[in-house]
Amino acid sequence: MSESTIFTLTFILYILAAFFYLAYLYSKREGLAKLGSVIALFGLLLHTLALILRTVQSGHAPFTNMYESLSFLAWATVFAYLIIEWKSRVRKPGAYLLLIVIALMALASSPLMPKDATPLVPALQSYWLWLHVSVTLLGEAFFAVAFITSLMYLRAESLEKKGLAPKSGLTAERLDSISYRAVSVGFPLFTLGGLVFGMVWAYKAWGTYWSWDPKEVWSLITWFVFALYLHTRIVMGWKGRRSAAIAIIGFLAALFTYFGVNYLLAGLHSYA
Amino acid sequence: MLRALKSFFTSIKVAIVFLIILIAASILGTLIPQGRSSQEYLARYGQLAGLFEKLQFTRLYQSFWYIVILALFSLNIIICTLVRLTPKLHRVFRPKCDLDAKSVQVLKVKERVKMALAPDAAVPAVKSVLGRHHYRVHEHSGEKKHCLLARKRILGLFGSDIVHVGLLIILAGGIISGLTGVRGSLTLSENQTLPVPQAGFSVRLDKFITDLYPDGSVKDWKSELTIIEADKPVLQKSVEVNHPLSYKGFVFYQSGYGSDWENPELQVWLRKKSDPGYLKTIRLEMGRPATVEGENITLTAARFLPDFVLDDKNQPSSRSPELNNPAAFIRGESGGAEVFSGWIFAKFPDFAQMHQAQESEFKLELKDIKAPQYSVLQTAKDPGVPLIWAGCAVLMLGLFLAFYWPTREIRLVLEESQGKTEINAGGISAKSREAFQAEFDGLMDALRKTK
Repeated sequence: MSESTIFTLTFILYILAAFFYLAYLYSKREGLAKLGSVIALFGLLLHTLALILRTVQSGHAPFTNMYESLSFLAWATVFAYLIIEWKSRVRKPGAYLLLIVIALMALASSPLMPKDATPLVPALQSYWLWLHVSVTLLGEAFFAVAFITSLMYLRAESLEKKGLAPKSGLTAERLDSISYRAVSVGFPLFTLGGLVFGMVWAYKAWGTYWSWDPKEVWSLITWFVFALYLHTRIVMGWKGRRSAAIAIIGFLAALFTYFGVNYLLAGLHSYA
Repeated sequence: MLRALKSFFTSIKVAIVFLIILIAASILGTLIPQGRSSQEYLARYGQLAGLFEKLQFTRLYQSFWYIVILALFSLNIIICTLVRLTPKLHRVFRPKCDLDAKSVQVLKVKERVKMALAPDAAVPAVKSVLGRHHYRVHEHSGEKKHCLLARKRILGLFGSDIVHVGLLIILAGGIISGLTGVRGSLTLSENQTLPVPQAGFSVRLDKFITDLYPDGSVKDWKSELTIIEADKPVLQKSVEVNHPLSYKGFVFYQSGYGSDWENPELQVWLRKKSDPGYLKTIRLEMGRPATVEGENITLTAARFLPDFVLDDKNQPSSRSPELNNPAAFIRGESGGAEVFSGWIFAKFPDFAQMHQAQESEFKLELKDIKAPQYSVLQTAKDPGVPLIWAGCAVLMLGLFLAFYWPTREIRLVLEESQGKTEINAGGISAKSREAFQAEFDGLMDALRKTK
């Protein structure tokens, strides 16, 4: 089977998983969510195979153009979500997270994204490509989980205030603590991959570890926003709405670092 | 006044305001392209351009005010960290153990356990159970009562402080880079030697190689370099993209390349109109007359343009450094007098326009062009770099400790009750409360079973 067939199969599995997760949201039957998890896990395994095949065929890390990097981000998001789900045993965010994953996969398979594996330009030939991109995107995937659980928090909290809290047992407080958990994984990963590995590679390739390139500045901004999240939470005891709002802004900043900078601002990171 | 200043810098709210200002300023700097020419800003922003330049928005990250904010923020980090450090150090080095069981009962995680041992035997038994779970135990005994303070992963308490120290080291590295870093660039043709500015040694380009993929796209650029110190070659190494060369604190990066079109070697065909079988191949170096064998004529290449075009003033010039329309100006002389001169074009062999003093029967064609390659190397000496890496390592260590090395503390008050021991135990864990609760419950079970 070719890489693109496996990619399509993966896509179908993710859609199926999202379907079961959504059905769980409406029917409240735990079994449906478990089925969703299992299908998502199979999708993840198949996706892993697709990424490995891509690596073998192209001879380089599977994130050197927008198609590859979107596909990897989708992989990382499923991975991050399943980890958080496994740890927290809360399956409700699955539906929304898989919708994000489906959007990423759809974007990756859109005809606008060139899919051909092209030879690697000299600047990208480095094992730092692996370290820098994979760890950064994994960190961003955990931010995506925090983003969804924070949005869910805002909804749950407003329902609880009106006395309309759902009986399923997933309280706003629980969502708040899951968000924090996701950030506490994502933040160290993003720091290591995005900032530290990024600086090391920049030093190796360009001779300066920091050049105030827009992508660098936007990763720093993302980092500052999550630093704000942690300080207001841990030192000032902010929880709930304000905390959720900062986590949402932080993910949007990460998203802009990933997408927006390439399309809207010119800079050194003009690869993918 | 001093107190106001102190409370200003110890305030977490102030730190948060600084963070927000830094975020806003940094965003502004990505919206306005940095470090461009005044004309470009004028074209882009019109009347606002002057204001932007005055406020240093166009060199924002190097601007006075941005650096002042960074400095104040660093000061705030230092002071906040120090202020919070003192009580933590007290907690670590002067552990307090309250013999009153109430101090334990207010904790969130707590339990009361009865042990079938007398207190004198219970204390070492409890200590050994805790020790098996890697707790360090401080003991404080009063009359009939004992207090045990058990802790582990105490370093986790300092995670955030270590993160801050890491950040400060990185900032210090940045300051050193900014003040003492030297950057330059060397443009070297093959076999050329140039002194490295401020370094006391020279570098020679032995060879420049462009590796291609089978499809013709560039795979790699390589410069084979020799470092020459006191007229002696001391080091030979090739520099590639992503693989710089480091020597005595100077680092050399492959950054660009090109062809030296000022000094190409041309291959020219000479034909005779009267004799279709006549063909001579002549190699020409720029400005050096070459005699044609068997003919009373010398040829000189006076100029070469890789991409010939007539400019606004109708003068020949080159549109680009690419070989799109290579052309050479050739002069033919016989006995010291010019016979003909003019441009010949590699792509348009019939287009030659020769000014001819007299009707000449020679016809010239530009067949081949070889130019020596040059390589552009970035050179950098940045004494701040080791501090940056050290700071990054400290920062990551701190993050790990802060998130994944939560300090755990269990306080136990042991009291005698009818020959046996009653234990009031309570625990504190900053993070991962569930995991701690599980461990705590396990410990209590173990205590109950101890005989």
